Amino acid sequence: MPDVSRRDFLTLLRDGLLAGSGLLALGGLTRFLSYQTEPPPTTEFDLGPAANYPIGSRTRLPDVPAILIHNASGFSALSLVCTHLGCTVEQKVDGSICPCHGSRYDEQGNVLRGPANRPLRALRVEPNAGGHLILHTD
Amino acid sequence: MRPSFFHHLHPPTIPAAQAQWRYTLGAGGIAVMLVLVLLVTGALEMFFYIPTPDQAGPSIQTIAFLVPFGGLVRNLHYWAAQALIVVAAVHLLRVVFTAAYVPPRRFNYLLGLALLVLSLLLDFTGYALRWDEGVRWALVAGTNLLKTVPWMGGGLYALAVGGPEPGGATLIRFYAWHVFGLVLPLVILSAWHLFRVRRDGGIAVPPPTARATAERISRNELVRREALAALIAGVALLALALWRAAPLAPPITIGSVGIAEARAPWFLLWVQQLLRWGDPFWAGVFVPLALTVGLALIPYLLPGPPRSQLGRWFPPGGRLAQIITGAIALLMIGLTVLALYP
Amino acid sequence: MSALLVAAWNESRKPRPVVLVPTLSGRPEYCLTCHADVPQISAAHPTGTFGCVSCHGGQPLALDADLAHSTMRGGRNPSDFSVVEASCGGANCHSGSAAEGRDHIQRALTSVQTTYAGAIATVRYAFGAQSGPGAQQGIYAIEDPHSATGLTALTAFDPAHDANPSVQTFAANCLNCHLSAQPLPGAQYARFTGCAACHAPTAGTGVQLNAPTLHQLTTAISYAQCNTCHNRGNYSMRDLQFHPRTDAPADRLRDYYQPIAQFTRCEYTLDCVDCHTRTEAMGDGDIHGNKKEIQYIRCKTCHGTPTELPLTKALTDPNDIAFRLALLNPVVDLKIGDTILVTEKGEPLWNIRALPGGAYELFGKASGQRFTFRPVMGSRCTQNPEDQSSASCHQCHSVQR
Repeated sequence: MPDVSRRDFLTLLRDGLLAGSGLLALGGLTRFLSYQTEPPPTTEFDLGPAANYPIGSRTRLPDVPAILIHNASGFSALSLVCTHLGCTVEQKVDGSICPCHGSRYDEQGNVLRGPANRPLRALRVEPNAGGHLILHTD
Repeated sequence: MRPSFFHHLHPPTIPAAQAQWRYTLGAGGIAVMLVLVLLVTGALEMFFYIPTPDQAGPSIQTIAFLVPFGGLVRNLHYWAAQALIVVAAVHLLRVVFTAAYVPPRRFNYLLGLALLVLSLLLDFTGYALRWDEGVRWALVAGTNLLKTVPWMGGGLYALAVGGPEPGGATLIRFYAWHVFGLVLPLVILSAWHLFRVRRDGGIAVPPPTARATAERISRNELVRREALAALIAGVALLALALWRAAPLAPPITIGSVGIAEARAPWFLLWVQQLLRWGDPFWAGVFVPLALTVGLALIPYLLPGPPRSQLGRWFPPGGRLAQIITGAIALLMIGLTVLALYP
Repeated sequence: MSALLVAAWNESRKPRPVVLVPTLSGRPEYCLTCHADVPQISAAHPTGTFGCVSCHGGQPLALDADLAHSTMRGGRNPSDFSVVEASCGGANCHSGSAAEGRDHIQRALTSVQTTYAGAIATVRYAFGAQSGPGAQQGIYAIEDPHSATGLTALTAFDPAHDANPSVQTFAANCLNCHLSAQPLPGAQYARFTGCAACHAPTAGTGVQLNAPTLHQLTTAISYAQCNTCHNRGNYSMRDLQFHPRTDAPADRLRDYYQPIAQFTRCEYTLDCVDCHTRTEAMGDGDIHGNKKEIQYIRCKTCHGTPTELPLTKALTDPNDIAFRLALLNPVVDLKIGDTILVTEKGEPLWNIRALPGGAYELFGKASGQRFTFRPVMGSRCTQNPEDQSSASCHQCHSVQR
C-alpha cells in the first residue's frame, strides 16, 4: 500500500466529493431541462370522403404535411418532410425540391439528388367505416 | 483614489504601441460597446416581447411599429448583434495574425473564443425569437441537426426543443437562454476577459528592450481614443438602424406554404452550404465543432513566435497558425458567397 | 445629441397610428392608419363592431404595408370560396344553423351557381364522357350524405382526366361564370368571386375592382349584377367556344343574348331578386344537378291562378325572418299585422304586401320603386293552373321585341 498521508487523503476525498456533487447536479439539471411539456403531435388525420380525391389526383395536405396520391393501385400518401433535415419540400411539376439544402425527389419520393439519402416517407392511408380516408403519420 | 475596475483597465500610462488603431483595429473595445448596447436595447425589448407562439409576432410588431422609438430600439439590437459577430471575428483574426495568443495570453485567448461561441448562440436564439416564417426552416433544420449526433442526439434534441417538434416549449426555452442563460455567462466571461488583459500585461507588445520607441500614452489619452472609437461606431450603428429595419415576416402558422427560399441566418450560411453537400452530422455538427476546437488548440499545439516578434502583424514565428486560420476564414467566406450566389 | 435629434426626426416622420378596437374581437387593429378612406361595408357589418381583421385577416399591428397585407385572406376578396369559411363563417355568422337561416356558406357552396354541375354534366354527356345526363361532377368535390335530392356527392371536374378534346375545349374556354371563376375582362363583366360576386355591386358602376371605395356588400342586387354572368354572351355548340358579347347590354328587353326568348313586362322591369328567392339563387343546402331543380318561382307564385289566390302569410312574430330581410334592405316598412306573399316552399316574398282592396304592392329591392298588381283570379284568364311554363303564359303575356 502506497504511503498516503492524512492530508493527501483528505484532499483527494474533498475533490472526489466535489466532483461527485457536480456530476449529480449536472445530471439533475439535464433531467430538469429535458422535461417535455408538449403533448405528442397528432398522428391521425381525417381527410374527408374518399370521393373528394378522384383517380389520378395528387392533393397537397398542408397540415400534415403530405401529398395524397390516388392512382390505379389505390390511395397512397407521401410525407413532404425532407429526410435530410426536416424542412417541408415544395411541389414542382416533376417531383419536389427542398428549399433548405436543395434535395430533389421524383414523383414517387425517391431521391434524385442529395444531400438527402433516404426517400420521402410513405404514410399509411386507410378508409374508415364512414368512407372517410384516415392518414396515419406514425 | 479607490482602486476600481475602470482604473484596473486603464493604468496611468501604457506603451503607445498598445493603443494604435492599425495594430488593434479597436475591435475588442467596439465589441464591449456593442455588448452594452445589446444589453440596454435587449432589456428595453423585454418590456414588450411575449415569448409564446401566438404573441411573439404581435408583440414584436408592437415594438417595431407602435411603441415610440420601438422600431429604433429593435433595429439597434438587431444591427448591434450582427456587428458583434463581425467585430468579434475581426478581433479573433487580429489576435491570431499578430500571434497575441502566445503565453501568458493563452488562457485569455480561450475566454475570447468562448465569448465568440456565446455570441453566435445568442444571435441564433435571438433570431428564433422572431418566430416568423423567415426563421421557420432555420429552426427546423438547426434543431434537427442535434438529432444526428450519435448516442445523445435524441437527448440533445429534447433538451433544446422541449417537445416532439419546435413549438411553444421551444420558444420559451430559447427565450430563457437568450435573455438569461447565455447572457449571464457572456457578461461574466466578458468581465474576466477584460480583467485578464491587464493581468497579462496589457495588449501584446514586445518587451521594453525590443521596442522601437519608449513612448507611452496617458490614461486620458487612452480614454479619449476609446471614446472616439465608441462615437464613430455608435454613429455608424445608428445610421444602419435608421437606414435598414430589422427583418420581420408573418408569424409561423401550421400548414402555411413555405417561402420560396429558406436561408439560414447569414453567419450560418457557410454551414448551410456544407449541408447541401455532406452528411448532416459531419457537415453540420462535426465540422463547426472541429473548427472551434482546432482554433482553441492553436496556442497549445502550434509553435508561437518569441516575445520579441510581438506587437506587429504576421510575425514569422506564427506562420503556420496564420496560414491555417486564414485558410479557414477564406473557406467560410467562400462558402457564404456560394450560398448567396449559387 | 445630433444623433438623437435625427432619431426623433425620423420618428416624427412616421404616420400617427390610428387604432380601432372592434367590439367583436376586442383586439386593437391599426389598419385605419392607412385605410381611413375605406367606407363601411354595410349597415349589417358596422366597422366599429367587426373591424377589418375578422373578415380580411392580415397583420393588424404592422404598419408596414407588405407585412400587414401578407396574411390577408383571399387577397382583396375574403369572400372567395377558397377562404370564405374563415372569413365569413362561424356559428354566429354565416355558417350557422339552417333553422335560423344562417347557413349561407353551406348553401352557397352546394348551389348550382358554384358547382356548375348542370353545365358540366350536359357537356360531358353530349360528348360521351359520361353515360347518363345526370350530374356527377362539380367545379370541386362536395358531398352531402343527407341530400334530399338523392345526389349525395359530386367529384371534382378535372378536364385532364377527360380524354375527349371537346370536353377539354369546354373546360379551357367556357368555365368562366361559376362563382369561383375569374370574370371576363370588361366593365360589363366586372364582378368578384365568392359571395361578393353577387353581393358587391360592381356592375355598371364603372368602378375598378381594385378601387378602395368599392367596399360594399348589399342584398339590393340589381339585374345588372346578375348580368355579369347571365347576359354576357353565349356558348356555341358548333365551335365549342364561348363568345362573349362585345357590347354592353343597355336595353333589357332587346339586348338579351338569346334572340328567341320571350318576356312579359315584369321580367324586364323588375330586378331578378324581386321575384327569385334566396334559396333559388344561393341553394337550399342540397346538391342539385341543374338549375331547373332549384328554380321554382313561377307566374302563379305572385299572380295566382284563375281559381286560387297567391299564398300569403300574416306577420305576427317580430322574429320572423321577413323582418330581418326587410331590415337589411329597408325598401318596405313591414309591420306586425301586414300580410306578405310566400312561396310554395314557405319562403317569404317580403317585398310584396297585400293591399286592402285585393291588389298587391311590390317594392323593388334594388330600385325601391313601388309597383301594384292584381291577382289572376277574377280576370279573363283561362290558363290551366298547372301549365306555368314560359311558352304557356307568354302566349298572351309577351312583349313584341
